[in-house]
Amino acid sequence: MSALLQPVTSLPAEPLIKIRPSRPWSIINLREIWAHRELFVFLVWRDLKVRYKQTLLGALWVILQPLLMTVVLVVFLGMIARVPSPGPPYSLFLYSALLPWTFFSNAVAASSFSLIGSAGMITKVYFPRALVPVAAVAVRLSDFLIAFGIMAGLLAYFRVPPAWSALLVPFLVAHLTILAIAVGLLLSAVNVKYRDVGTIIPVLIQLWMFASPIVYPAGMVPARWRVAYELNPLVGIIENFRSCLIGLPMNLRSLLISLVITGLLLCCAAFVFHHMEDEFADVV
Amino acid sequence: MRPIVQVRNLGKRYYLTRARNTSPTLREALVGAARAFSFQRLSTRTDSDHFWALREVTFDVRPGEVIGIIGPNGAGKSTLLKLLARITKPTEGEADIYGRVGSILEVGTGFHPDLSGRENIYLNAAILGMKRHEIRRKLDEIIAFSEIDQFLEMPVKFYSSGMYVRLAFAVAVHLEPDVLILDEVLSVGDAAFQVKCQEKMSQVRRQGHTIFLVSHNMQAIRESCNRVFIISDGRLTQRSDVQNAIDEYLQGLTSARKPITGARTRSAKG
Repeated sequence: MSALLQPVTSLPAEPLIKIRPSRPWSIINLREIWAHRELFVFLVWRDLKVRYKQTLLGALWVILQPLLMTVVLVVFLGMIARVPSPGPPYSLFLYSALLPWTFFSNAVAASSFSLIGSAGMITKVYFPRALVPVAAVAVRLSDFLIAFGIMAGLLAYFRVPPAWSALLVPFLVAHLTILAIAVGLLLSAVNVKYRDVGTIIPVLIQLWMFASPIVYPAGMVPARWRVAYELNPLVGIIENFRSCLIGLPMNLRSLLISLVITGLLLCCAAFVFHHMEDEFADVV
Repeated sequence: MRPIVQVRNLGKRYYLTRARNTSPTLREALVGAARAFSFQRLSTRTDSDHFWALREVTFDVRPGEVIGIIGPNGAGKSTLLKLLARITKPTEGEADIYGRVGSILEVGTGFHPDLSGRENIYLNAAILGMKRHEIRRKLDEIIAFSEIDQFLEMPVKFYSSGMYVRLAFAVAVHLEPDVLILDEVLSVGDAAFQVKCQEKMSQVRRQGHTIFLVSHNMQAIRESCNRVFIISDGRLTQRSDVQNAIDEYLQGLTSARKPITGARTRSAKG
């Protein structure tokens, strides 16, 4: 048995892993998340791979989803209810907001249930739990990028000249992604412990759609309610996303409010997630 | 020789209301929070609604040791492994590990039925903690070990259970961290494949890796371990005389068959 006790390498002076009880005021460990970046890439790769294996139309669905939605809404809201569009054709007006909305709602829905869906992994292996909901958002982001190609086609079809403000679109997409991550982290963590949340999420998403300027212009909201309305962080993002693409004037106030709210939400989500994640393996 | 794993007074307490799959509903949590608030107490939990799955566990393990962990079902073996693997956090105490830890508590964690065998090798290895360059380097070895190379491009949902297990094992035994945590996993599969796994394990051991092995297979414990930890009612006893420890443990099991729930209620009172 003494033959077993040959050291291969000298031990480091400091432990690589310190196992301690949860501390109430610790902060999220970004270095640990960075160290697991390869696993993150694998999780995204898995979801994309599986999707395109299971479905017949594959990438086409990613384009069809917002497009079909646009067709339905153009018929009901544009032609029957006659919702006004400030300038551009209603279909273009609609698609330019449905595109980021589809990304956001799919990302939030997917990441909210991502931890429950990964229960098998969570109870058997250690890794930073935040990777799972963030990877779910990343998968939807790749869908968004594909569907964005259609937007370019629509702009060309309606002969809308590209505005300089279109250069801001990547920043707005980054902003929207961070908001989706914040909401996803929060809901996924709470959903692990309180399954009731899962039944509320679809309703919440539906309400959120009507509380955002997607099927109607933000200008329809009465002026005295505007600031309260803009506290919804999606308002600033979607309103300006649309404005940048189809060359309408931007609303910097709503964008600024949204940036602040998104920042607060992300801090809050990181805090809540970090404090609940130690328990995931015990309660999931 | 300095220990590679140092554990001091490690303990894990579970609340009975939070047992698996019975997490409190939002309503219960809100009612509980309101009650705690109105009585101006932080917690309304009493001593009787929790139990210690593990308590006052202290040990040192030196590099290259192979520790067999034995004990009846529900005694706390898996809890110890989950604490060392960082899957769950301890309630009290601490543990320091001077090396990389790899844990295999289940065969094929994260396997996706729609992905091919080859794709699942990558995915599973990444989940177990291997880096991409490591996976690439060991890929041929893993495939050769699994002996299913002609089905490698087929989705694993079409695999027989034997093929599935082979592929999963092949990945698992090629994970070579400084400290390896194994839960019973190497005791499935057909006899020939089991022999192959045992050989691979002893090769890993010769390279100086430290191993924790939970098993009900006393033969495997006797052959591979230089020390045994017996866990009973959440308490750990260390034994260096492997053979005697196993004999006594088996005798104890046959002479006094206690129901598992009995062990829990007793430790809950204590």
